[in-house]
Amino acid sequence: MIKVSQLLKTVPTADGDLDILRGINLEIAEGTSAAIVGASGSGKSTLLGLLAGMDVASGGEITLDGHRLSQLDEDQRARLRAEKIGFVFQSFQLLPALTARENVMLPLELSGKKQADDIADRLLEQVGLSDRLDHYPTTLSGGEQQRVAIARAFARQPKILFADEPTGNLDTRTGERVIDLLFQLNASEGTTLVLVTHDDRLARRCDVRFGMDAGELCILNA
Amino acid sequence: MRALIWKFLVRDWRGGELSILLMALVLAVSVVVGISGFVSRLQGALLSESARFLAADAVIVSRTEVPEEWIEEAASVGLQVSASLGFPSMAVADIERMALVSVKAVSAGYPLKGNLQWSVDPYGTVQSDGAIPVPGEVWLAPRLFALLEVASGETITVGERPLVIAGAVRGEPDATTAVFGFGPRLLMHVDDIPSTGVVQPGSRVEYRLLLGGSADALEIFLEWLKPKLGQGQRVDSVATSQPRIGDTLDRAQGFLLLAGSLAVVLATAAILLASRRFGERHTQYVAILKSLGAQSYEISRLYGSCLFVIGTVSTLLGCILGWAIQGGFIWALGSLLPATPGPAGWEPVVMGVVTALVCLFFFAWPPLSRLADASPLHVLRAEVDVARMQRVQDLLLGGAAIIGLMWWYSGSLTVTFSVLAGLLLVTVLGVIVGRTLLAGGHSIGGFAGSIWRVALSGLQRRRRSNSLQMVIFGVAIMLMLMLTVVRSSLISQWQAQLPPDVPNHFLLNLAPEEREQLQDFFTQRAVQTERLYPMTRGRIMEVNGAALPRWEEAESETAPRQREANFTWSDVQPAGNELIAGEWWPQDAVEPWVSVEEEFARDIGASLGDQLTVRIGADSFTVTVRNIRRVDWQSMRPNFFMVFPRSVLAAYPGMYMTSFLLTPDRKNLLNDLVRELPTVTIIELDMVIAETRAVVDQVARALELVLAVILLAGALVLVAGVQSSLDGRLKEAALLRALGARRELLLGTLWIEFLVLGGLAGGLAGVGAEAATYALQTRVFDMVWTPTPLMWWLGPVIGAAVIGCLGVWSCRHVVRTPPVVLLREV
Repeated sequence: MIKVSQLLKTVPTADGDLDILRGINLEIAEGTSAAIVGASGSGKSTLLGLLAGMDVASGGEITLDGHRLSQLDEDQRARLRAEKIGFVFQSFQLLPALTARENVMLPLELSGKKQADDIADRLLEQVGLSDRLDHYPTTLSGGEQQRVAIARAFARQPKILFADEPTGNLDTRTGERVIDLLFQLNASEGTTLVLVTHDDRLARRCDVRFGMDAGELCILNA
Repeated sequence: MRALIWKFLVRDWRGGELSILLMALVLAVSVVVGISGFVSRLQGALLSESARFLAADAVIVSRTEVPEEWIEEAASVGLQVSASLGFPSMAVADIERMALVSVKAVSAGYPLKGNLQWSVDPYGTVQSDGAIPVPGEVWLAPRLFALLEVASGETITVGERPLVIAGAVRGEPDATTAVFGFGPRLLMHVDDIPSTGVVQPGSRVEYRLLLGGSADALEIFLEWLKPKLGQGQRVDSVATSQPRIGDTLDRAQGFLLLAGSLAVVLATAAILLASRRFGERHTQYVAILKSLGAQSYEISRLYGSCLFVIGTVSTLLGCILGWAIQGGFIWALGSLLPATPGPAGWEPVVMGVVTALVCLFFFAWPPLSRLADASPLHVLRAEVDVARMQRVQDLLLGGAAIIGLMWWYSGSLTVTFSVLAGLLLVTVLGVIVGRTLLAGGHSIGGFAGSIWRVALSGLQRRRRSNSLQMVIFGVAIMLMLMLTVVRSSLISQWQAQLPPDVPNHFLLNLAPEEREQLQDFFTQRAVQTERLYPMTRGRIMEVNGAALPRWEEAESETAPRQREANFTWSDVQPAGNELIAGEWWPQDAVEPWVSVEEEFARDIGASLGDQLTVRIGADSFTVTVRNIRRVDWQSMRPNFFMVFPRSVLAAYPGMYMTSFLLTPDRKNLLNDLVRELPTVTIIELDMVIAETRAVVDQVARALELVLAVILLAGALVLVAGVQSSLDGRLKEAALLRALGARRELLLGTLWIEFLVLGGLAGGLAGVGAEAATYALQTRVFDMVWTPTPLMWWLGPVIGAAVIGCLGVWSCRHVVRTPPVVLLREV
C-alpha cells in the first residue's frame, strides 16, 4: 500500500542546508497499522507530511496505492488525498465557523457526495457525539473535537488514514478513548493506519513500529 | 460546487469572517457614492448659485441690438431668452430735481436665474414675486427717491417719456455684472424704450440677451454663435464677468473634487486592510480544505465566487447606503446649503461601482487568489510560510488603478499627483520607520521596564503588519490633516480678501480745490476713507525710443501696443502693492522715474530700466522704469498701472479719486454728497461686495460640511485598521494572561503599542500632509504656501490619541474575559 525508498528532505537554513530525512525506506502493507515513534524534532511529522502528499521530497520516491507521488503535481496529489487519504491532526484542525456536523460534511461536499448530512450524522453517532451535532468547535472539549476530527477523517472511507500525534493534546483517559475509537473504525473500515506518536503505549497497539532518530528510520518490530 | 459556494458563504457569514470584508466594501462604496453624490449636488447648487450673478446661465453682451436670428436660434434649441438693455441717462422729476441714473430696461422672463426683489416704498417690505415693471411704470433705487424728492405714484421723465414710479428696486441678481454707468438704478420695461427717444444709433447702450437652459443646449447654441460674434459683442459667464466669484467657485470646486478623490483613497485603504485580514484568517481554512483534498482551482473558484457575491451585494448595499448618506446630508443640512441642491445624476453610482470593481480586483482578489497556493502542510506545522498576502506588484497595479480613479474623479492630474506625493512620502517614510524604529524596539525595550519591554518587543515582532498599519493610519490622518489645512487656508484667504472694513464706494473726478470740502464732509459724518490719489490720464507712446503701434494696429492680441491709463504720483509705495523688480524711490525724488504694474508692463513690452515715452495732453516726456509692481486688483482700493514721483506729474492738471466705506443704513449720505459736490462721480460697489461675501460664506459652509464627511470616513478607516490587527494581539494578550500577566501589564502594553503606532503614523501624516499641502496650494489653488507647524505636532498627538483609544477600546475584552475563554476564542 505504501512504499518509500531513499526518501530525502533537506531544508535551507541560515547555516546551510539541513537534512531532516536521510534516505528513509519503509513499506506498509494494506489494512495494517503502523506507528512512527521518535523524539521531538526527529523528523516524524515531516515524514508524515510527505507520505500524505502535503509536501514535496528533496529526493527518493513514495508510492501510495500504486501512485508515485514524485510524478504528481500539487493538484493531482490533492485529488489523491481526496480519494484515498484521511487525516487526523494533533491540533484537531476543525473549522471554527462550522458546526461539528458541517465539519464532517466538508470533505464529502468537496467531492460532491450526496446525503453528506446523513453520513455525517451517522459517523458522529459512531464516535458518540450524536448530541453535539450543531455545536461549534469552541464549545466542545478537546476529546470531543478530536472525535469530530476522526469522524471527518473517515467520512470519505479513505484507504489510508494518517494521524499526527492524535492524542498529543489530550489527557491519558480521553486519549485512550480516542485511540480505541480510531482502531475500532480502522478495523471496521479496513483502512491502512499510519500514525506518528511518541506515546509508546499507543505505538504498541500497531502492527508495525518504526523508530525515527535524527532523520533516520529503523524498524522496531515487524 | 455552486451549492458548496453558497454553503461556504452562509457558514462564513455566520462565523463573522465575511462580514468584515463586506463591511469594508460597503463602507468604501457608500463613502464614494455618498461623498461624490453630495459633492455633485453641492456643485450643482453652487453652479446655479453662480448663474444667479448673471441672472442667466450665459449672457450675450452687445453694443448693438442683438439680431432677431440669434434669439430665434436660441429658442429653437430649447433655451429660454430674455432681452435687456442698459445705459446712463438723466431721470427728471422737474427742472430742479434731476439725477444721473443707470437705466436698465428688462423684458418678460427677467431674471432667468435668481430673484428680482422690490418693494412698493423705498424701504418697505421686500417682495420677490417674479414681477417686473410693467410698461409705463418704473422702479427706482431707494436712494433716488430722496435724491429726486419723489414718492411712489408720482411721475418722472426719462428722455421724452413720462413714467409712473411703481416701486423700489431692492435687489437685482445681476447687480454685479449688469452695470451701466455710475448712477443709481432705474428699472423699466423694454417696451417703453422707443418712446423715450434716448436710444439712437451711436448711443452708449449695452444690450444683453439672457440665456437659460441645459448645459447641452447652451453649448450647441454658443458653438453656433461663436463665429457670428462681431466687434463689441461677447458671451459672459460668471468666470469672465465676475472673476472673484468665479475664482471662489473654481477653488471650491477644486476642493470638493479633491475631497472626493480622498474618499476613494480612504475607501481603498479600508478594503486593503479588510482583505488582508480576510486572507490571513483564511490561510488555515484553505490549508485544511487542501489537506482534505481540495484542489487549487476549486479554492480559486470558491473564493472568486465568494468575492463576486460579496462584491455584488456590497456594491448594491453601498450604493443604497451612499445614496441615503447624501440624501441624509442634504436633508439634515438643507437650511445651511448655499442653494437648492440639484440632482446628483448617475455618476456617483458609476463612481461607486467602478471603485468597488477596482478595489475588489486589485486589492481584495490578490490575497485571496494567493490562498490557492497555501501549503496544506500549514495544518501540520503552523510556522510553515504561507504565500505573502500582498505582493509589491499587486500594490503597484492597485496604486496605478487608484491614481486612475483619482484622476477621473478630480479631473486634474495636478490634484492627483499632489495627493500622491504626500501618499508616497508617507509610504516610504513608513517603510523606513518600520524597518528601523520598530525593528530596534526590542533592543530599546531591553533597557526599559517590563511593560515597555513586552510592548516594544510586540511592535518588533509584528513589524511587517505594523508597518502596513502605520502607513495606512498615516495616510488616513494625512488626508484629514491636509483637507483641514487646505480648507482653512482657502477660507481665511477669502475672508482676508474682503475684510469687514473693505471700502465699498469709489469717488472719482474730484477737483483739486474740492479736496478740503470732501475731507470736511467725511470727517463731519465719520466716514472711513482711503487717502486721496491724484489722477491724470496719459498714454505710453514709445519704449526705448521704439514707437508702439496703436491698439487696433497691433500684430496680435499679445503684441506690445500703446496703452492709455490713469497715472498717479506717490512718494511712498502704495499699500498692498508688491515690488517684484527694482526698488522704490526715496522721498522727494526729482528723477524722471516710473513704477509700472506687472501686466501693464507686459502689454507695452517694457521691463526694468527701460525708457518710456509718455504723453499727457499735448506734452511728451521720457521716464525710466524704476520698478515693477504686482497689484491686487481685488483689493477694492484705488490702484494704478503707472505711478510717478510727485515732481514728475506736478506740472500736469489732474483730478483726485478715493474710496470709502458706507454701511447700507447710511446710503442716503451719497445724496448729500452729490448735492454738495455735483461734479464727482460715485461708483457704488456695496452690492457687489455684499453678494461676493454671501457667496464666500456659503461656499465656506459647504467646504465645512464636506470636510466633516471626510473626517468621518477617515475615522472609519482608522477603526478598520485597528480591527485588522486584533487577531494577533488578542492571541498574544490571551497567552500573557494565561501566563499570569496582570491587567495593568496588558493594558499598559496595549496602550504603549497603540500610542507608539499612532504617534509614528501621525508624525508621518504631518510630513506627508505638509508636502501635499505645499503642492496643492501652490499648483492647484494658486495660493501662497506657508508651512503649518501645527500639523507637525498635531499629527502625532492626534494619531497617538485616536489610535491609542481606539486600539485599547477594541481590545478591552482581553483584560475582562477569563483567559481560558480567550484562548478558545483565538
